[in-house]
Amino acid sequence: MPRQRLFRFPWRTAAQVAADVDEELDFHLELMAQELVDEGWPPEGARAEAVRRFGDLEGTRRVCRSLDTRKETQMKWTESLGDFGQDLRFGGRQLAKSPGFTLVAILTLALGIGATISVFSVVYGVVLRSLPWTEPERLVRPLFVSPEGEEHGAFSAPNFVDLRAQSRTLSGLAGVNGGTLNLSGLGAEPERLPAAHVTANYFDVLGVRPLAGRTFAADEDRPGAPRVAVISEELWGRRFGRDPKVIGQSLTLSGQPYTVVGVLARGTQLPSGADVWVPLVFSEQDLRQRGAVYFAAIGRLAPGVSWEQARAELEVIARRLAQQYPDANAGYMKGMTLQSLQENMTSDTRKPLLILLGAVASVLLIACVNVANLLLVRAAAREGEIVIRAALGAGRARIVRQLLTESLVLSLAGGAAGVALAAWVTKMLVKLAPREIPRLEEIGLDGTILLFALGLSLLTGLLFGLAPALQTSRTDLSGVIREGTRGSKGRAATRARGALVVLEMAMAVVLLAGAGLLIRSFARLQQVDPGFNPKGVVTFNLELPASKYSDDAKLRTFMAGLLERLEQLPGVSSAGATVYGMPLDDQVNVLTFSVAGRPPAPPGKEDSMRIANATPDYFRTLGIRIVRGRGFTPQDRDGAPQVVVITEEAARRFFPHEEPLGKRIDLGWTVDDVPRGGEVVGIAADFKQETLSQKSEPQLYLPYDQAPLESLAVVLRSDRDPQVVAAAAKEKVRELDPDLPIYGLQSMADVVAKSTAQSRFYMLLLGGFAVISLVLAAIGIYGVIAYAVRQRTQEIGIRMALGATGERVTRMVVSQGIVLAGVGAVVGLAAALLATRGMQSLLFEVKASDPTIYVGVAAVLVAVAAFASYLPARRAARTDPQLALRGEV
Amino acid sequence: MPKTSLDLMQGTVAVLILKTLSWGAMHGYDISRSIRQRSDGALGLEDAALYQALHRLERKGWIHAEWGLSENNRRAKFYQLTPDGRSALQAEVSTWRSYVEAVSKVLETA
Repeated sequence: MPRQRLFRFPWRTAAQVAADVDEELDFHLELMAQELVDEGWPPEGARAEAVRRFGDLEGTRRVCRSLDTRKETQMKWTESLGDFGQDLRFGGRQLAKSPGFTLVAILTLALGIGATISVFSVVYGVVLRSLPWTEPERLVRPLFVSPEGEEHGAFSAPNFVDLRAQSRTLSGLAGVNGGTLNLSGLGAEPERLPAAHVTANYFDVLGVRPLAGRTFAADEDRPGAPRVAVISEELWGRRFGRDPKVIGQSLTLSGQPYTVVGVLARGTQLPSGADVWVPLVFSEQDLRQRGAVYFAAIGRLAPGVSWEQARAELEVIARRLAQQYPDANAGYMKGMTLQSLQENMTSDTRKPLLILLGAVASVLLIACVNVANLLLVRAAAREGEIVIRAALGAGRARIVRQLLTESLVLSLAGGAAGVALAAWVTKMLVKLAPREIPRLEEIGLDGTILLFALGLSLLTGLLFGLAPALQTSRTDLSGVIREGTRGSKGRAATRARGALVVLEMAMAVVLLAGAGLLIRSFARLQQVDPGFNPKGVVTFNLELPASKYSDDAKLRTFMAGLLERLEQLPGVSSAGATVYGMPLDDQVNVLTFSVAGRPPAPPGKEDSMRIANATPDYFRTLGIRIVRGRGFTPQDRDGAPQVVVITEEAARRFFPHEEPLGKRIDLGWTVDDVPRGGEVVGIAADFKQETLSQKSEPQLYLPYDQAPLESLAVVLRSDRDPQVVAAAAKEKVRELDPDLPIYGLQSMADVVAKSTAQSRFYMLLLGGFAVISLVLAAIGIYGVIAYAVRQRTQEIGIRMALGATGERVTRMVVSQGIVLAGVGAVVGLAAALLATRGMQSLLFEVKASDPTIYVGVAAVLVAVAAFASYLPARRAARTDPQLALRGEV
Repeated sequence: MPKTSLDLMQGTVAVLILKTLSWGAMHGYDISRSIRQRSDGALGLEDAALYQALHRLERKGWIHAEWGLSENNRRAKFYQLTPDGRSALQAEVSTWRSYVEAVSKVLETA
């Protein structure tokens, strides 16, 4: 047991330990030599004799030094640990003594840390965590660069095969084509599955192993190979109850039989996000059509090959392909660039998420500032205690350490509460987040996040604890004793608190400005006229498999039967269908055309617009106005004169100075020797084709009967509950074709809501952070003013005794708060102008420098600050001058 | 100095040091001299072994060292027993006694 000492000598360094050993041995040798001289040895030989008699002097020196050094280290550790434990216990007691302060501090920190962890776990799951593949950083997506400098990721089969054969820098190149397949049979409702057609090497390139069974063998993507499929773990559970016998079982996908060969584990479905994978087979015909670009490619860099080497080589190959096949390629590829697959998957969400992370970090910083402020106020109250500790011999470092330990206790408690909060908030975030954000299902609190939380808590503790600790420990003993207990460093501390409040005000301004911009942008988005009336409209999709609906006549018959049945449903006032025409949908079909009677445009310079087809009642059902002329009628059937309807934008763009009605539009292709196109019989209102924020593009409609296609979007208008209508519609489709799955069933109102979901998500989040930061900043300014008022009680008493009215005192105190807020607002506005520059791409019809927002934010801040200072000001105004002067308040 | 065949075991050195220090704080030279005088030099304890044992005992916490001034006003390292060292001494002494008794019995009856 080491003896409990009341004080100790300072720790010795290794050199000091060695010197002490030397001195001790030297002392011995000297006395020994003296003894020898006394016995009669000649003085000059005495020292040597003493050394000889000592025995192994150097060995002893070594042993003693090492023993002492080890003892010293051990004691140092024991004492530090002991001190730390003591600090912890003492800190805990101090915090327990002021439960109000402790609770406010922990709650503030929990809010800041919890919010940060939540957002970080989303950012980490979506952007930072590496993808579930072997060496994901070596996976690339080759993109062609067009002569105009645009990047295209789409490959044709011949270009893909050539690139794969010629490249030496890629160890593998796989093709993948997303899409959907109808799953039928299995004694259950038919289902539309997200599917991917992939080349046989796809799984090897990604480095993904199956959960059960196998992936594709090398020759299974050749024409004529037996049809095989890999399914997702999710589908395996849902349709097969995780039965291991699924391997080898047969599936009917879009009318074709496939044999299941493997199951892919959850989380490895990316980038295709499919439930079923089938081989991407290139037919003889596919391999001849170099211009038909329809699928994406994913490559893996060969070992030892750098990104730049691969890009350079692929660029050369792309140029060669463009020269070799100018007809198909020259207009499409001038060069090639590579995109990291991870970046490709997250590029759209990366920026807004990082903005959110920045915003939430500001919230945390504001929370830190608030707690630091609380600590400073508390430190003033504890000055007496600190002085006594210093007088008893505690060094400055020792006092700082004690105060920091208290901060760490606070921040760790706040962090623990924050993690609990984050567990809940993260779940909410994932639920609220728009589906466009990839990998949402992988978000959650895991070891990495918890480690992050711990690190964050410690950092937070240092951040808010260090400045107050240094400030508090800078104690001028004599000053305090001379001035009594009333704060020797009152003025410096007040300045520090004022600076902190200005800082948090400024950060709140930045957040408020960002949120204000998003809110204004969202409001603008809500006001956009989508060009149709979503109210009471239900929509769903059908994909008629080509194997069953092999010609136009069958498609027309199906459509006629479908619309007739749907219109008979109770409550349904009209029904229609379109292919490629749905608003707020990413299906786009752009074709070139010419106007009869105009000189032909040079090749490559033809006009183009979006082409869709529509049934007669489609416009009425969706509430798309026919501005002039007429819509389609049942008479516009196959064999009747061909007609088209164009949108207002098409009329403006392509018929700027003439009447489009009656003009004939040629689409430049023929069916059964009949050139397609038709006479413009009507002009329909513009509508938003993909997103609410984009401009309406020119669009042309053909009557469905005159140009039938397979991928239908059906719309129903009814005054009944959408759920009921949907269920009835499902039944009607089943009557017509029991194998045909309905998918994408939703109300048009939901479609509109989903198209703004992403904006709403970011707006809500940033808005929430801004509100939290404003509240924290208000608490901060309240704390500072309240403290200042308490310190100035005597002064206020004198003023009132000299005749100042309560109103005057109130004004004086409130103006102090407003000055702080004003300075904070000015600093914050300058910072916000810089910080919001990066947000422009998230804004719709709002400039990032929109002055109304900035003026509004500054006004809100000053108003909140005025209110927060009014509360202590009112108390100050009620000061009783007599009590104040006697120092009894 | 008379030669001796007695080889000192480490444990024995420790007991001798602890016993010597039971009269009060001493520096290394005094400990060495005191042991030499009281055993009439018969033990032949080398100073090298003595100092190594001192530092080992200090590390063990049985003795405690502090720098002080010697009789001739030089800085010297003084050792003294800690409470732990005191109880260790009692234990060691009784062990030693019973050992010696046992060995003597064997030698006397032979």
